[in-house]
Amino acid sequence: MSADPFTLLGLEPRFELDAAALEQRHRELSRALHPDKYAQAPAAERRMALSRAIEVNEAARALRDPVKRAEALARRAGIAVGETVEPKPPGALLMEMMESREALAEATAARDVAAVTKLGDGVRARQRRVEAELATAFEGGEASRVLPLLGELRYLRRFLEEVDAFEETLLG
Amino acid sequence: MDLLEIFDPKAPPRPIGIDLGTTNSIVARVREETPEVIADCNGAWLVPSAVHYERGGQAIVGTQALGLAAIDPEHTIVSVKRLMGRGADDAETKRLGTYEFVAPENEADARTVRFRVRGRVLTPIEVSAEILRTLKKMAEDELSRVGGAVITVPAYFDDAQRQATKDAAKLAGLEVLRLINEPTAAALAYGLEKKQNGLFAVYDLGGGTFDVTILRLDDGVFEVKSTGGDSQLGGDDMDRAVAEKLLEAMGARKGEPVARELTRTALDAARRAKHALTDTDVVELELPKLGGGDVTVRLGRDELEALIAPIVARTGLVCRRALRDAGLAPTELDGVILVGGSTRVPYVRRYVEELFGKAPLCDLDPEKVVALGAALQANLLAGTGSADEVLLLDVLPLSLGLETMGGVVEKILPRNTTIPTGARQTFTTYADKQTGFDLHVVQGERELAEQCRSLARFTLKGVPPMPAGMARLEVSFSVDADGLLSVKAKELTTGIEQVVEVKPSYGLSDEQVEEMLMDALDHGEDDLLARRLVEERVEAERVLHATKKALEVDADLLAEGERENIERASRELTEAMAGKAPAVIHARIELLDHATKAWAGRRMDRAVAKAIAGKNVDDVEGEVARAKGVETHLEEHARGRSGAAARGGE
Repeated sequence: MSADPFTLLGLEPRFELDAAALEQRHRELSRALHPDKYAQAPAAERRMALSRAIEVNEAARALRDPVKRAEALARRAGIAVGETVEPKPPGALLMEMMESREALAEATAARDVAAVTKLGDGVRARQRRVEAELATAFEGGEASRVLPLLGELRYLRRFLEEVDAFEETLLG
Repeated sequence: MDLLEIFDPKAPPRPIGIDLGTTNSIVARVREETPEVIADCNGAWLVPSAVHYERGGQAIVGTQALGLAAIDPEHTIVSVKRLMGRGADDAETKRLGTYEFVAPENEADARTVRFRVRGRVLTPIEVSAEILRTLKKMAEDELSRVGGAVITVPAYFDDAQRQATKDAAKLAGLEVLRLINEPTAAALAYGLEKKQNGLFAVYDLGGGTFDVTILRLDDGVFEVKSTGGDSQLGGDDMDRAVAEKLLEAMGARKGEPVARELTRTALDAARRAKHALTDTDVVELELPKLGGGDVTVRLGRDELEALIAPIVARTGLVCRRALRDAGLAPTELDGVILVGGSTRVPYVRRYVEELFGKAPLCDLDPEKVVALGAALQANLLAGTGSADEVLLLDVLPLSLGLETMGGVVEKILPRNTTIPTGARQTFTTYADKQTGFDLHVVQGERELAEQCRSLARFTLKGVPPMPAGMARLEVSFSVDADGLLSVKAKELTTGIEQVVEVKPSYGLSDEQVEEMLMDALDHGEDDLLARRLVEERVEAERVLHATKKALEVDADLLAEGERENIERASRELTEAMAGKAPAVIHARIELLDHATKAWAGRRMDRAVAKAIAGKNVDDVEGEVARAKGVETHLEEHARGRSGAAARGGE
């Protein structure tokens, strides 16, 4: 598919991405396509530059995000992704996440910073492990392992979003 | 006013930068690669953002108007920026109670604040346009012909506030090259001056708004990492805190209403005291006492600092959040830039130094720096700048979302997303034979739609009647480089592209702006026609120039017959320009646009190939050729996306 973010940015399709290389490529392409560079161009050209700059920015945003990056790789491998088409996660994971979320809800309600940090750190470590496994699965072409890992990553991320929201309330 | 007199075809158009501030406004330009502010005939460059309406309806702008604010507050509007993009029922509208607001008669009227001044009903957009007209005039006196403007807005301005600013410029007869964020403009002025790379925070505390921006400067690319702010926090709030104390000393009891003139006196004294305490440790103020007589009030710097501390502390929270959003610790920053008049207060400087753990940079005048940056950017956009490698990559300051079932917001674009940007969302029908959808776009970080800023409500109509869940609608949101949102919708099962009726929740419709434009011009239609002619000629000039330049560089990318078509279209446009019919010029511009479009796509592909350093250029050109041009490319993109992202909506 031509609109794949790796193709759009001209980067090698890998899960383990060199973040600095991605940022550099994003800047290079922005120099070529940003609407500011076409401010004096005819209207049709300005519109074209705008839509291409949007594509480049969207692609960079997708690749910075591990979930979207995994989705893009899966699509390249012909695996359908999206929460409606992916298999339901195993019951054990659901139970575990439910328990963790209950613990998080209790800790945030009690404004127990240490407990929230501990829970957050645990899930972050697990997120790193899952990401490493995903990288291996993609490298080794183990298509059947991709969707379960991706599903798990989504759950972990949703959990971390709640941790983030709590941590933000601490800033004031 | 005669527009044709202003349009001197022999004078080259010069771009300008405008800092349209809450308290003061400044216009600047670039002369010999150095930005400088433009002064009026008295040498004054700081234009107070005050507009006084005389008995005959004539507007006076600037220092003279500010002087009249104390004597004639009903007919003098100050700090109008705080009302930009606000609705009639907005909290901010109710807070500033010194003007006579007009009660909205209908829903369309309620979309913007209106005040009555000398029998005229005015919107903040029209008042801002008066300020912009004055600045434009100052620039024209200096440059004879103004070619376009970059106008700065607080980074934290939402869509409605940005749109209002753009409308004001249109009313003032200014072509807006770009709206840029104030902190980013300041960083540009600093960056180009110092030529240094690294991570910077811009702390911008103005009269009415606070912004903080964290950005990376990398060989001319100014990449904003995060931004945050409070569009209701500034030096005005410090003045108010001090004024309350002064009013007490003047004999006013807490919580009791005070005459408008006394409040004004206290506010003015507060501002003078704040300024004086920058250099001295204590000031003595002679103030009128309630019920007659005078009172001398001594105010020490420590007292001032105690009064403003809670206000300044609010900026700390915003800064910490912005750092967190950027994923940075304060120690990772290479520098902190101070912007805005309120950063002259020594307490603010100490606070910033403590917060970021380093002495802030303030070698450029914090009051001028935004206008200087705007002028630099205007110069770059107008193609007259030499620093071709400079680029600003800014972000969306506040998340964009859609209201879903139960009034909960679903985010479609998170804050701090690099602009321009876009997102697509697919919706499906929930009832049999359903032919329309109602969508509500909001902006803000809160969970419930009613707590966010409502941007637009619209109805998608004309969905073919099908069983529930069969029709699929793809709604595309795009945010342009000015940070302004537009929405498009498409029915995917039939492929029918819908022109969506977007009803903005705030602001003026295009027709309303057009009407105001007619009113503002002396001879209505005639002047409007003259103005269109000027605008179309400017655009024609630009297109012809761009085409000529492109032919010099990229002629090898022309397909067979293209050069002939382009040359013919150029010739016809040149002929039309000599005429007096704006519609004809417009049509010829479109013809030239059409003739150059495919070639422009190939030139863009080449630019992309060149940008990807290290990658074999032939590979890229091959890939691009396979992509079959941009339009097809985009369509494929949309189709591919929707398949995976299909989901239920309301």
